Amino acid sequence: MNLDDWKSQIKRGTLEFCILLMIRQKPIYGYEIIQRLEQYPILAAKENTIYPLLRRLLKEEYISSCWQESAEGLPPRKYYSITPKGQEYLAAMSTEWEHLLEAINQVKGE
Amino acid sequence: MEKCLEAYLEKVEKCLKPLPGSERVDIVKEIKSEMLELQAEGKTAEEVVARLGKPGELAKAYLGGLITKDTSFSWKKVLALCAYYSVAWLSGLFVIPVLIICAPAFMLCGILAPLLGAVKLVDTVLRLGLPGVQYIGITGVSSPVLVFVLSAVFGVALFLAGYGCWRLLVLYIKRMGRVKTGLSL
Repeated sequence: MNLDDWKSQIKRGTLEFCILLMIRQKPIYGYEIIQRLEQYPILAAKENTIYPLLRRLLKEEYISSCWQESAEGLPPRKYYSITPKGQEYLAAMSTEWEHLLEAINQVKGE
Repeated sequence: MEKCLEAYLEKVEKCLKPLPGSERVDIVKEIKSEMLELQAEGKTAEEVVARLGKPGELAKAYLGGLITKDTSFSWKKVLALCAYYSVAWLSGLFVIPVLIICAPAFMLCGILAPLLGAVKLVDTVLRLGLPGVQYIGITGVSSPVLVFVLSAVFGVALFLAGYGCWRLLVLYIKRMGRVKTGLSL
């Protein structure tokens, strides 16, 4: 179905952006990201998408990670935080995103 | 931690072999952490495994970045390419032609053998005296019933062998295809 293809393309194109936005808000761990994204059907993604993506962002030094112990009964968690390089990247993506929205609006208005 | 979850993690770790040890350990630790979170929420081990998918597939997702991103030249890649093409050449010369002939040949013989045995049996029982039937037989076996039984058994075996060759051929071709995409050549 074309709509599903398009939706998955949109998701693929924006997942990185959304995840960095979340990480910038506060240090967050993998499963928490998955849970938060689940609230939005168009963004919901599985473990085999999210974790490798996080690893890639880590390798490219847009985010940093740190294992932290949790409360009793809960496992240690790998928290991700944004780096200065990541902030720059995110700012650039945000700008491009605004351009995109503006362009779409203009195309709609014509 | 439950046995099936430990086994799952072991399988993932095994499939992550191409990655350095420290990364493997970290990846498994992160997956284990989520497993424990899910269990703390009340999910059963089966639900956890179902949610994460096949361990090999999960591991593959991590490895995906390895090959496609790495466009640099390396001797390892050249050797891998040579190995792939020499095996591909070998299969082109031997494996595929042999299997492609054996499969239908065996299956056909597998069908013909009991058919001929049946013809012989019918001919003997009904005393039809069809020409050429006297040539159908198995050396050393006089009873036509036995001939039929043996030819049926033989036929089934031959047919299964032919079918086996066919499955092997399909499997071989699929694997070669997968290796090629795996090397992303």
